[in-house]
Amino acid sequence: MPEFATLASPYSMPAALHGDTDLTDPQEQTQARALNQFLAGVELKAFKIAQAALRHEDDALDAVQDAMLQLARAYAARPAEEWKPLFYRILENRIRDMQRRRTVRGRIMAWLPLRGGDDGDEEFDPLALAASPDPQPVRRLELDEAMGALEQALQRLPRRQQQAFLLRTLEGLDVAQTATAMGCSEGSVKTHYFRAVQALRAQLGELHT
Amino acid sequence: MSGETVSPFERNARTVLEESVQRVDARTRSRLNQARHKALEALSPQRPRWRSLTLMPAAGALAAAVLVAFVLWGRGPHGASTPTALDAQHAEVEDMDLLTDKDSIDLMEGWDGFYEWAASQPESNVESNT
Repeated sequence: MPEFATLASPYSMPAALHGDTDLTDPQEQTQARALNQFLAGVELKAFKIAQAALRHEDDALDAVQDAMLQLARAYAARPAEEWKPLFYRILENRIRDMQRRRTVRGRIMAWLPLRGGDDGDEEFDPLALAASPDPQPVRRLELDEAMGALEQALQRLPRRQQQAFLLRTLEGLDVAQTATAMGCSEGSVKTHYFRAVQALRAQLGELHT
Repeated sequence: MSGETVSPFERNARTVLEESVQRVDARTRSRLNQARHKALEALSPQRPRWRSLTLMPAAGALAAAVLVAFVLWGRGPHGASTPTALDAQHAEVEDMDLLTDKDSIDLMEGWDGFYEWAASQPESNVESNT
């Protein structure tokens, strides 16, 4: 058998679900399937939320991966209804850790002269050029403009307002779940969210799509 | 946000954000997929260290039994009755010792003198002996 045949496809079913790992208990297999389904459902939105906060794609991916691992290791046995707020709580903690580390690193690097930029070191990846599902060209142009404007406006929001807005609007969490994810009271969530909407509307108008 | 009144702005913002999610490139999707695989692999139960320690006495007893069986098999009647290549080699060495031993050759040469001596003896001596 050729060697490449043993390589797993990135889109194949995870090992925990097809018996490569020691999940002999049917209950554990069911739990693995449920967790796989949950993570597949939230991973893209979580990535966008982390990217908005960290403004760096690789850091956002690292944060999402850490949150997934932490959820699987520590909270997989909890009821599935609790996973979403728990997952976003873990993700928020990771984002905060990364932001703190970045601040410290920035202070240290500011003292070092002639530091080289690392933006040009990335290798060319043909997957980055793969086409995504594409709407009609005019509609796409309108969405591009609205998306760019909204993302810029989101970057200008205070962190807590940005978080409340994305969790409520993009992820669709209710006030209680958002409060759990943010580690604050429901009243604070309502305040942050209200102020976020006000600030965004002031910058973007009614945001026609 | 179900069951709550949503303003047109919030609805439009949601549409835009969901569209941006749909446009995440294939490379990022692939990396997220791999991250999910790793997380699910972390679900597989790790065998506790104490469980491996409980197998230690059984493994030791098995090793001791194998050792005893090996020793007994080597010293048993089956092993002693069977001529081995080592035994044959040892016999050949003894034959070579006999052939190369100087005293043995002298003794062999002395046998010729015996017959001459016996022929020279008188008959009477022979009869008296019988």
